[in-house]
Formats: sequence, structure tokens, C-alpha cells
Amino acid sequence: MEAIYAIWQRDVLKFFRDRARLIGSFAMPFMFLILFGSGMSGAIGSMVGGEAAAGPLRDFDFVEFMFPGIIGMTVFNTAIFSALSVVQDREFGYLREILVSPMSRTSIAIGKVLGGSTVALFQGLMMLVFVPFIGVSITIPIILQLIPVMFLVAFAISSIGLLIATSLKTSQGFQMVIQVLIFPMLFLSGALFPLNGMPAWMDFLVKINPLTYSVDMFKKIILQPEGLAPALREAMGLNLSVFGHVISFSEEMMVVLILSILFVVLATVRFNRSEA
Amino acid sequence: MNNIVEVKGLKKNYKGFLAVTGVDFEVGEGEIFGFLGPNGAGKSTTINMLSTIIKPSEGKASINGFDIVADKNKVRSSIGLIFQESTLDEKLTANENLMLHCKFYGVPKEKREERINEVLEIVDLKDKRGNIVDTFSGGMKRRLEIARGLLHYPRVLFLDEPTVGLDPQTRNHIWEYILRLKEKAGITIFLTTHYMDEAEICDRVAVMDHGKLIALDTPDQLKTNVGGDIIEIETENNQEAKAVLIEKYEVEVKEAGGSLTFQVDKGSEFLVQFVKNFDIPIKTVNLRRPTLNDVFLALTGREIREETASSKEKVKTGMRRGRR
Ligand SMILES: Nc1ncnc2c1ncn2[C@@H]1O[C@H](COP(=O)(O)OP(=O)(O)OP(=O)(O)O)[C@@H](O)[C@H]1O
Ligand SMILES: [Mg+2]
Repeated sequence: MEAIYAIWQRDVLKFFRDRARLIGSFAMPFMFLILFGSGMSGAIGSMVGGEAAAGPLRDFDFVEFMFPGIIGMTVFNTAIFSALSVVQDREFGYLREILVSPMSRTSIAIGKVLGGSTVALFQGLMMLVFVPFIGVSITIPIILQLIPVMFLVAFAISSIGLLIATSLKTSQGFQMVIQVLIFPMLFLSGALFPLNGMPAWMDFLVKINPLTYSVDMFKKIILQPEGLAPALREAMGLNLSVFGHVISFSEEMMVVLILSILFVVLATVRFNRSEA
Repeated sequence: MNNIVEVKGLKKNYKGFLAVTGVDFEVGEGEIFGFLGPNGAGKSTTINMLSTIIKPSEGKASINGFDIVADKNKVRSSIGLIFQESTLDEKLTANENLMLHCKFYGVPKEKREERINEVLEIVDLKDKRGNIVDTFSGGMKRRLEIARGLLHYPRVLFLDEPTVGLDPQTRNHIWEYILRLKEKAGITIFLTTHYMDEAEICDRVAVMDHGKLIALDTPDQLKTNVGGDIIEIETENNQEAKAVLIEKYEVEVKEAGGSLTFQVDKGSEFLVQFVKNFDIPIKTVNLRRPTLNDVFLALTGREIREETASSKEKVKTGMRRGRR
């Protein structure tokens, strides 16, 4: 226990000490929300509803739609990049200090994943500073609902990160692999634009993408689709379904939970086999 | 004296390359035990096997009574390790580095404060406790690593080239700390070096070359075994001089770096007669007591120094590679 705590504490401590990284972490979401979001909202709005859109579709607000996706994106990015610390520890030698101690490898792996999840959770919560500029209403109950979901998603993604990190020797290699992985996952998750009327093969990729379900949970919590008109809900891509079955929040939670367990086990096994 | 380290037939095979070819030795409790050898001799590889970082290909070894393969975690708790390359977290403070180490090794909470003070005292870094390690000099980092290695009261402290890349003054300081350690903590110290003067401080020295132990004894005994004093001459014609030396004086002559080296008993008396009677013009003459370098030369026919001249470069580029 103490071991897990120590590994976790180091990563969290270093996160809060790194001011540049803290401030820099606002840059991407800011650009997406303000530049991309506001810039595109006219175009996307007219694609969805058209100037003369009747009734509910006029309420489509692209920036508001994007906001849960941006939180999702921040959580994924931070969680998956948190595993970079393992590669860097190997490069800078600190991994040896960790690996020659009597701590079990399993504790170390779990400490690392928990550290990454915590950092990603904080980054995700930090995105709430954009709320006043966007016009979504976020209440305390919504935040309380968001926290466990963000943590679970972050846990799954951090485990994937650790799995990749234990297989790679250099930071550059790691960053390459992650870039190649994260962009298609983001674009095919519905985080940045509504996924409607896609070709079948693309729809398939969307449905096997764990981020899809993660982003959808954020949307369900923040946008509260039950209160929206059915046509608007459809336009925003909020009726995520697999084989015609509309997926519920708790089913999505199960999917992410199962993925978390799967990947944390894989990453731990892999880490147990790695040499100092 | 009890043996705290016992090694039997330890081998390491790196995909067909035998880095360590079956070594046997014991280290007594409280001893300062040194591994001396040129680059690539297999010193680090041996230390890494003993400290459970890499698996031996063959053979057995135990530390503090625990087998290095079967009882890994108990071995790990019994040893402190200072690697050839730094393993500090330079973004954290000295105190944070030490605190984490206490947690990694399960040092009880109520003892941590006291222990950290104690080890920082030994290496004279008490006033730097709250500083980020990034701001430390090379020597201070080394001292902090030594301090950290002591926190969990290891029975054996492994130091792989503890002073490589440091200036002579800092090297001397580090040695003061290591000797102070032996006195204060009474722990066994196992180190590798390719500096002769450092090997002199050890209670016993194992000389290693090409993965083999070629000698193991106290520094004094090793030097005595070499036999006699050493005379080094440079002449106008080394080839001819060599022939004469072998024929007339019946000594074994070694040629290295443009000079001839041979050994005689009672060097000073010999030298007076020798210089008077030698026909070939002599350019320089040097008489000295044997050093560990001569021990190495006598055992292998090579000088350890030639190879170490470039070793600093090697270490530096190695670090750069790691720091990229
Ligand atoms: N992981 C590895 N794979 C293959 N060969 C290796 C590996 N590690 C070390 N070697 C080889 O094993 C030999 C012994 O290396 P080792 O690092 O033990 O030498 P050393 O005595 O510590 O030298 P130095 O004084 O340079 O530190 C070298 O020839 C080296 O090239
Ligand atoms: Mg070495």
C-alpha cells in the first residue's frame, strides 16, 4: 500500500510543480473551443439546421456540443501521456531506483496508473474554468457525477499508456505511437463533431473505439439529453446505439470498467516482465 | 569473520557473449571489497547480478544469506545500490528523494525524519535538504545518492564507480565519506573502480579482466606478489636494450609506451651498478615500488591506465545519450 502511495505521490507532486505544463494544458482545449469551435459553429450550425431551421434545431450550439468532448480529450491526452513518465524514468535512470527496491512490480504499476488517473482527473476538472464563457450550466451535482466517470476513463486510458510505455525504450518512440493512436481515436469518438450518416466501416470503428463510450458519458452528464427535443438530440449524435440498441449510461460505464480491468491487468503483467 | 557475500561460478551470457565467465569469491562482513578492471571487464555486470537487476546465466550467489535469484526481495532489502549512472529524480528536492526512498523500502514512518538527518549528516548535505537536486553539483549529487543508499540500513552497500567523472578533490571527499561510513555504520562496502589509488583503500581487491577474476588479495599482498622494485628505462635503442637485459640480467622485460619495464630486488643498489655498466645510451630512468597498475600489467601484459584514459569520454557520451 505504502509503495502504491509513494509512486502515486511522486507523479502527482511533479504534476503540480510543473507550472509550464499546467498552463500549457489549457492551450489545446482553448484553441479547440474558441478558435475551432466558435469558428466552425456557423458552418456546422447551418449544416445541422440551416438558416431557416425550424423549431428545436435552431438551438444547436456547436461550442456547447463540443464542451464535453473537450473535457474528454483533455482527460485522454493527460492520461495516456502520463505513462511518458515511465519511459522518461527509464531514460533518466530513476526507474532503476524504483525497480531495485523491494516493492512489488504490481504495486509500482498500479501506483503509476493511479498517478496518471489522478493527474488526468485534475486536468479534466480544470477545463471547467471555460464554463462561464460557453453558456452551459454546470451545477455541483453534475461535477460530483463527472468526477468518478472522469477517473474511471482516465484509469482505463492510463493503463493503455502504461502498456505501451513498457514496450518502448525512448520518449520519441512513445510520443510517435501515441500521436498515431490518439488522433484517429479522438476524431472517431464524437468528441469534436457529431457523428451522423457515416459510411458503415467508419461507424464500425466508432463503435469499437473506447473513447466513443467515454465521450458519450460526458455528454450525457453535461448536456442532459433527456431534456432536449428528439430532433436536436439526433442532430447532436446523442442517440449512440449498437445494433439498433440505444446504449444506456450504465452500459457505457460497464464497457469502460471492463476495459480498465483488462488493460490494467495487461499492463501489470507486461511491467512485471520488464527488465531494470 | 562471517561471509556476507558468497559467489560460486557466477556467469553472464549476453546472447553468446560471455561478459562474466564464472567467478567465485566471498566478501567478509565489514570489509571494503574492490573490483578493479578496465572498461568492459564485467564489473558492472557482476554487481548487477548480485543486486538482482539482471539474472545470472549460471552459478549461485547469496547476500546476507539470501539467494539472489530465489529471494530477490530479501536481497533487495539487504543492499544499498549506487549505480554508475545517476538515478536521482532531479526535479525533486533532496528531502523528497530521500522520503520516497524510505517509502519504497518500508522504513517506518516515525524513523524517517531521524534517518534522513543522520544520512545527510554523514555526507554533509544537511543545509541542502530542501533544494531541488537539479541545482546540485556533480559531487553533491553523488553524495546524495550515497546518503539515499544508506537510508534503509543496508548490510552491504554496492558502489559502481562511485567517483567516475568527478574532479580529484571531490573524489577525495567521496572517499572520506565512504571511509566514515565504514567506521560509523559498520556496513560492508562493495565497489568497482578503475582508479588505482581507489583500489589501494580497499581491504581486498579482486582484479578482473575479460570477465574473469585473475587475482584476489589485499593490495599489499598483490603488490608483493609482483615481486621486487620496478625499474623503467628509455634508451636510444629499446630493441637492443631489451635483448641485453634479458641475456645479461636475466629479467623479464615488458615494453609499454616507449619504455622498458623490469623488476629487481633491492632496486636502488641495482640501479647504481646498472647505469654505470649499461652500454646503450639511457635517456630516462625511473625506480619505484610496484603499484596495482603493475599488478595488472604483470597479470595481463597490458596497462589498466591506457584503457582508462578514454573512459571518461565514454562515460560522458553515455550520459548524454541518456539525457537526451
Ligand atoms: N545488455 C548487454 N548486452 C550485451 N552485452 C553487454 C550488455 N551489458 C554489458 N555488455 C557487455 O559485457 C561486457 C562487460 O560489461 P560491464 O558493463 O560489466 O563492464 P565494466 O567492467 O563495468 O566496464 P566499465 O568500467 O566500462 O563500467 C562488455 O563487453 C559489454 O559490452
Ligand atoms: Mg561498469
